[in-house]
Amino acid sequence: MRSVMSANAVSCTIKSPVALQIGDAVSDSSRPGVYITDITLAEPVNIQEISFKNYYTAYLTVRLQRREDGSAKWVTCLRNYCLMSNPHAEDGSHDYFSIYRHQMLTEPDNVTTVRLILRQPSSEWLNFSIEEINIHPCAKEDSERDVPAWISTLTPVEEPLDLNGLPDPETVSSSIQQMWALTEIMQASQTAASIGRFDVEGSYDVKLLSYT
Amino acid sequence: MAEKRRAGVAIMSDEQLLSQAGVSALLRGALLRLLECRPEDPVGFLAEHFAHLSSEAEDGASERQSVSRALWHLSLAHHSHRSAFNNNVRVAYELLTQGVPRRLGVGGVRGRLYSEMLRCLCSEGGLSGSTAAPLLRRIQSHDYESVPFELFRQGVLTCAVFADYIRKSQCLYAAVASAPDRPAERTLCQAVLSTLREALETADGADVARYLEASAKISPAKVAQAMAEVQPRAQRHDGLTMDAQEFEDAAAALFIARVRTVS
Repeated sequence: MRSVMSANAVSCTIKSPVALQIGDAVSDSSRPGVYITDITLAEPVNIQEISFKNYYTAYLTVRLQRREDGSAKWVTCLRNYCLMSNPHAEDGSHDYFSIYRHQMLTEPDNVTTVRLILRQPSSEWLNFSIEEINIHPCAKEDSERDVPAWISTLTPVEEPLDLNGLPDPETVSSSIQQMWALTEIMQASQTAASIGRFDVEGSYDVKLLSYT
Repeated sequence: MAEKRRAGVAIMSDEQLLSQAGVSALLRGALLRLLECRPEDPVGFLAEHFAHLSSEAEDGASERQSVSRALWHLSLAHHSHRSAFNNNVRVAYELLTQGVPRRLGVGGVRGRLYSEMLRCLCSEGGLSGSTAAPLLRRIQSHDYESVPFELFRQGVLTCAVFADYIRKSQCLYAAVASAPDRPAERTLCQAVLSTLREALETADGADVARYLEASAKISPAKVAQAMAEVQPRAQRHDGLTMDAQEFEDAAAALFIARVRTVS
C-alpha cells in the first residue's frame, strides 16, 4: 500500500546507468549483466521510501552515502533484493516496487547519494533498468492540518455534573437541535430573488430610494 | 336493445355518460390528490377538493376566494415533505396569478395578495400577530409590487418554518421550566438561548464542517454543562424568572435576525 506521503517525492538527479563489463567496453560486444545508477540529492534527506518501476531487473543492491559528522560514508542498505523470482521468466519484470525504511539494513538518515546496483544474470533480456525512481522523505512530526478547536472539547468532562433540579439535558438539547435545524432550513432556502423594488429598467432610481 | 331507442331521446350507455362529462378523469384526479396529501379526514378533504374545483370553474373568483383556496392548497403538505410542498406552492402561485394582466416580462403575485397570504399563513400556523409582525416586516412586499415565484416560495416556506420554530421554542420553555405553572429561571433561559445563539453563529465554512461544529455545541453534554455553570445550588428559587412570552420573543428574534429582508 502506498504511503500517504507519496505525493512529496524529493527532487533528485538521476544519472544515466553505467554498465560494468569485463574487458574493453568498445571491443567486447557482450551484453552487460550489471548496471549502476547514482542518484544525487540536493540536500541530506531522511528516506522513508524508495519507489520505482522495474524493467527486467532481477536483483537490486542499494548503497547509500551518508553525511556523518562532516565525512561521507558509504553503507549498504539493501543487498541482492530479489525483484524477479526467476530471472529468465517474466514474473516481476514490470512490477512497481517500494523499499521502506524498515526493510533497510541501516538507518537511511542524512543521505546525500543513493547508488542502485542492478543485476540481471539471465541472457534472455536485451536490456534491463529501473524507471520512475522516487525518493520519499520521512513525514514531519508536526501535523500539517490544523485540528479545529471544537474537536478538543468533545471528550466529556471527567467529574459528573450536579444536575439535581436542573431540566433534563437530553430534552433541552433535542429541542435546541430542532430549532437550530429549522433555522438552517430557512437560511438554506433563501434565494437571491428580489422584487426589484428599487430597479427602474434594471438600474437604481435615486428618487425611489428616498421614499422607503 | 330495443328499449334504448325511445322516440327522440338517445339514452347513452354507461361508458359514454362517464366519458362525456369527464367524470372518470375528475375522479382519477381527486384520488391522486388524496393519495398525495394523505389527510386525516379523507371525506372532508374530498368535499373541499370538489368544492374548490367547482368554484374555480366559475369566472371572476374574488380575491378573497383565491387567497383562501391558495391557503387550503398550502395546508395539504408539511414543509418537510419537500416535493409535495413545492407542488402545492406552485399550485397556490398559479391560483393567485390568475387574472393578473401580464405586463411585458413581469409576472407574479400582486404584493397585496402576497402580504395577505403571509399574514394568514402565520395566523393559521398558530402565531400571534405580535410574534409574526417582525418577520412579516422583513419579508412582505408593498401593495403595488409584483412578487416572482422564487420569492413567493421562499416567503411561504419561511412562514411555515417559523411557525414550527415557535412551537418548538414553546416546548423548550416547558422543558426548562421546573413546573408547568411556575415560570422558568431567568439565568437558565438565558443559558439555553445563548447555547442556541452560539450554534447559529458558527463561522462560515464548508457545510459539513459547520454542521459538525454546531452540533458539538448543542450536544446534551454541552447543554448540561452550560446549565450547571449558571446554576449554583444555593441560589435556586431565589433568582429572577422569565415568562413564556419573553422567552418566545427572544427565540423568535434569533430566527428573524437571519431572515433576509425583501427588497
